Amino acid sequence: MVFAGTSPGGRRPASTLVWVIPPAAMALCAALAVAVVPADARAAVIWCGVVATLAVALAAVEAIRRGLLITMLRTRFTAQEAGLRQRLVDQEKAIRRLTQDVLPLAVARLQRGAGVDESVKDIDHVPGIDPDFDAAHGQLLRWVLETVRTEEDLRDAAQRAFVNIARRVQAIVHQQAYDVREMEDKHGADPDVFEDLLHLDHGNALIGRLADSIAVLGGSRPGRQWQKEVPLFNVCRGAMSRILEYERVDLHSVADVAIVGPSVEPLIHALAELLDNATRYSPPKTRVHLTAIEVQSGIAIEIEDAGVGLSEEARRRTDAVLIQAATGLDLNDLGETPRLGLAVVGRLAARYRFQVSLRPSAYGGVRAVLVVPQDIVCPTPAPGGMIARAAKLPPPKPVKRATPLPSPTRARTGPVPPDRPGPGFRQNGAGLPQRHRRMPMATPVPPPFSVDSAPPAAPAAPREPARRPVQPGIWLDAFTKGLNGEPIPAADVVEDAPGPPAVPDPRKAPDTPDTPSTPNAQNTSSDKDE
Amino acid sequence: MSESGRAWDEGGPDRLYTVNRGRAPEEPRPVELVSLIVARAEPEPGMAPEAAAVLRMCRFPLSVAEISAYLALPVSTVGLLLAELLGDGRVEARAPVPAAVLPDPELLQAVMHGLQNL
Repeated sequence: MVFAGTSPGGRRPASTLVWVIPPAAMALCAALAVAVVPADARAAVIWCGVVATLAVALAAVEAIRRGLLITMLRTRFTAQEAGLRQRLVDQEKAIRRLTQDVLPLAVARLQRGAGVDESVKDIDHVPGIDPDFDAAHGQLLRWVLETVRTEEDLRDAAQRAFVNIARRVQAIVHQQAYDVREMEDKHGADPDVFEDLLHLDHGNALIGRLADSIAVLGGSRPGRQWQKEVPLFNVCRGAMSRILEYERVDLHSVADVAIVGPSVEPLIHALAELLDNATRYSPPKTRVHLTAIEVQSGIAIEIEDAGVGLSEEARRRTDAVLIQAATGLDLNDLGETPRLGLAVVGRLAARYRFQVSLRPSAYGGVRAVLVVPQDIVCPTPAPGGMIARAAKLPPPKPVKRATPLPSPTRARTGPVPPDRPGPGFRQNGAGLPQRHRRMPMATPVPPPFSVDSAPPAAPAAPREPARRPVQPGIWLDAFTKGLNGEPIPAADVVEDAPGPPAVPDPRKAPDTPDTPSTPNAQNTSSDKDE
Repeated sequence: MSESGRAWDEGGPDRLYTVNRGRAPEEPRPVELVSLIVARAEPEPGMAPEAAAVLRMCRFPLSVAEISAYLALPVSTVGLLLAELLGDGRVEARAPVPAAVLPDPELLQAVMHGLQNL
């Protein structure tokens, strides 16, 4: 070992030459002795000298041989040592590669659902340190992966069980919500029963939110799936309806947009959790403000409370919870997470690309901002929400009010006698409109329902004083318009009904028969609602 | 009723108590089922959609029952909604108009007797 650095090759010729010296010296000494001793002893001395020289020469040869042997052995050992060192280095490298590259990759593949064989299949193998080592290496990898696989399966099974139970609870809750809603309609006129039903409804919604939370934490999507887009106002109110103290939430200006169906439920759930946090961690007398405004990147929904506030440390902790939930949450950690809601919000935010931030509010409380990305926002089909759409049902009755409201559409409408049907049909004996035959004409026929889709300002524009031939198809249009209660175009009014303006009769107004309009209105409602 | 309930259930994620905003129905109901409601204001952008819808549909007098049917909301909820709107002066409630307003027969009789006594 000590001589490992020295070069044996440089000493070899010297050492071979060195071993020539002793026999030579011996021979020289023998020759001197032969020269010095008397002649009678010379023969014996010569023999002794020859024998001694030969012995020394033999010893020298032996020494040379051993020297060569030692040198050779030393070289071999050095090479062997270098090999062993190299192998050690290789093994260290292999182990490092195993821990740093191979295992994470294989475990990641495993977590994505690949089998053990698939996971280890195309991992680039460095061949050839030692078959035994390679075999042990592969076995270790396999064993670790098998263990991980088992654990993953166990975890998956647990999560699936959670989600399964949550789904069952959700099904019951939905059914119950539906039933309660029917009961609310049924007993809507009895205040006592109605109040109790609302109470039940609320409790039911709270259970539903809990089930949704479990489903989300189990890696599934929350609750039900909405087919159509839902206005943001209803989404916000849906979130309010799922928290305990919804009375404390003030719903301020909400942007008039809708959320596409698949993202409705996650958004409602995330908002409900944030609202729950806001109401839970603020004094009971304070209000929580919920606003939704349009920003460049989508819709920013702000929830501001006047609660205990958020220290710098607490803010860092909540951010950590959000991030941890986004990167993946272990069910085992849930016991240690103090605010379950934030974990759910983080999960949903990561999955549906909501940006959530909790910052100290100017009121001293917390201001939570959830930004909904632009691509799940769409223009609302019914401005003002579902209710406003339903409210379009009753047609404006063609009666002039004593004190007309400053409504642009009403102001343009010509005076029409309330009991007179539109042009194109006459009344029969029972007072019902009756069709009469039209002659076919050569003029091009406009599509019968085209005026329906025109903007409401259109009827006022073509005010022609001259009587013009009535085109076929117009009467059908007028008929449908009369059914819908829409204002009749001014030209037709001039043509057919030049009578005096209707006398405003406040008593008559409610008694006006509404029979043609009501079924039609219901038809349109069912059309729109399906 | 079942149809309207279904429509609501499919239509919106919000529940009735949020429409009421947690207020219990008042015992002396402010509006009768047959009261006629007339809007006295135009809907404003920040209003709840139900209130805006009431204002929009009540440009002409509508009974409370009709409003309830059109909105597909129970009468109690509509009553609360209208009570709030009445308080704000946005709508006006009118007494239901009978089919024929006849004076009190006793009054007529008294007038007749008075005329006869002249």
